[in-house]
Amino acid sequence: MNTSSPQGFKADILVIDDTPENLNLLNVMLTEQGYKVRSVTKGSTGIRGAQTLPPDLILLDIKMPIMSGYEVCEHLKADERTRDIPVIFISALGDVEGKVRAFSVGGVDYITKPFQVAEVLARINSHLTIRHLQRQLEDQNLRLREEIRYREQAEQTFTTVFQKSLNPMAIATLPEGTLINVNPSLLKISGMAFDSVLGQPLINLFWRTNRDAIAEMLTALVRTNRLQRQEFEFMTPGYATRILLVSMEQIDVNQTACVLLTANDITEQKQLENEFISLVSHELRTPLTSLMGSLDILTSGKLGELNEYGRRILAIATASTERLIRLINDILDLERIQSGEIVLQKQSCQVVDLCRQAVDSLQAMAAQSNIEVQTELEPLDIHVDPDRLVQTLTNLLSNAIKFSEMHQTIRLKVEKRDPSVCQPEWKTSQHSDADQWCCLITVQDQGRGIPPDKLHTIFDRFQQVDSSDSRKNGGTGLGLSICRSIVQQHEGRIWVESTLGEGSTFYVSIPQSGLPI
Amino acid sequence: MNREVLVVDDADDIRAITQLGLEMSRGWHVLTANSGQDALQMAATHAFDVILLDMMMPEMDGALTLRHLKADSRTESIPVILLTAKGTPLSSAEIQRLGANAVLGKPFHPLQLADQICNILGW
Repeated sequence: MNTSSPQGFKADILVIDDTPENLNLLNVMLTEQGYKVRSVTKGSTGIRGAQTLPPDLILLDIKMPIMSGYEVCEHLKADERTRDIPVIFISALGDVEGKVRAFSVGGVDYITKPFQVAEVLARINSHLTIRHLQRQLEDQNLRLREEIRYREQAEQTFTTVFQKSLNPMAIATLPEGTLINVNPSLLKISGMAFDSVLGQPLINLFWRTNRDAIAEMLTALVRTNRLQRQEFEFMTPGYATRILLVSMEQIDVNQTACVLLTANDITEQKQLENEFISLVSHELRTPLTSLMGSLDILTSGKLGELNEYGRRILAIATASTERLIRLINDILDLERIQSGEIVLQKQSCQVVDLCRQAVDSLQAMAAQSNIEVQTELEPLDIHVDPDRLVQTLTNLLSNAIKFSEMHQTIRLKVEKRDPSVCQPEWKTSQHSDADQWCCLITVQDQGRGIPPDKLHTIFDRFQQVDSSDSRKNGGTGLGLSICRSIVQQHEGRIWVESTLGEGSTFYVSIPQSGLPI
Repeated sequence: MNREVLVVDDADDIRAITQLGLEMSRGWHVLTANSGQDALQMAATHAFDVILLDMMMPEMDGALTLRHLKADSRTESIPVILLTAKGTPLSSAEIQRLGANAVLGKPFHPLQLADQICNILGW
């Protein structure tokens, strides 16, 4: 053996021999070579010594009174503590039978007396090396077994968590975002089957929500390798809005970089928040009603004419009060649409009538800025909630007016289009009904346009391009969010295209079935 | 023509501004009640030409008050106009079912309220 033990000797050797001369000889010889030697003359003492403190190797005389070397070896091999210690027999007997027996009781080698020092040392060294290597192998095996068990446990834990988790989860490859696993929770809320999404792009799971934002999260993850987290409004197959907090982080799956997407459904928390908003809004609205009424009476002049300053101050108070009322009404409106409290009252309507209503209500506002509203309306009979659609059109048109310059033109267009316009391209193949069509409404302005980085968030609550917009233009920051909720309730789509400095075009597409009139 | 009006609302300020508006514009005689229970008592003992009833009130809300009014022979013939905030619009079917003559949204113009009432009731 080449290495020394930490105690400073090469190995611990137990010598069992009833002849003191032999013992002495071996003791001197081995000690000189740097071994630690324990010598005993009786088999039973040797066994006890080996059990208490197992040596690295045992030299065992065969021919001893009371208990022979064979018996000692059998005892050693029968005991867990001493079983693995290599035993080398030493005997004057040179017969083959003795040697065979020595091996059959568990000896590893056999040395015949009188022995050659070099031979004894060589044999001891060789068996210690074998023993050492064996131990290393055992250790390695043990470590490997532990590692395998650990991995299996980890894998099983992960699988259980992944499959059973109430949190929607998915794993996809990086950077392409190809799905390799999706858990039942996510399949349930996206309404898709496991086989149909496997191997598809991750964003396909989110076809009803802002896919671009999901794609952007993925890009940001690849770029920064940092945990990404964002809130999304997610439409379930039943068109209920769930609010998800989506996290993406990089993980390794079989040495491949992957993204682990985890979503938390925070709809209930948001609902509490909304209920709170609803309560607070009601409490705010009551004093506003009397405030508005009071200002109204003052403005009427019934209590005496005010001077110029008085009239201006009254106008300011009235404008601010009106704005507050608008804001509270919008917040409540949005809350009620999103919580599903408002049920659509769909009926057959002439889209031209609805457009006229919306345009007429804004005529005064447009005239103030010398803005012309041009219409190109295809007479179509559509099945919608007329009040809600007018609300949407009014919102889009008033936005267009607000963000237009003097003397600019706004175009409102209605046309019958292919059903694919209503459906994202990855869904079209499923609908091929001949009587399906799409009512596409376009509101185009020549205003300042929307910066590309704001295009994705423009339909979210309080996401105006410029935070001063709401104050300057009297908006609430909720209009587009309300529009989107209404359009989604109609199972339609709303989106925007915009070029900075050239203007924006808002599209509303509402799926229709049956023959248009 | 002088009219007797009952304004029912749990918010003091809204009662006051409604009363002021009706008095200032037409000189109508306005009494107020701050709860459904009070309204029922007053309506049973006083001859009102119209009752303006707030929908959202604690304990006995507008709908329940209206049901009691319509169930009592002394009050069933008094026209009722519901006042409701924008957050709780009622469909015409619901208004009919409740037995109200009309619904007016809040906030309203106090000085135009009397005109609106006249229009609704054909006065």
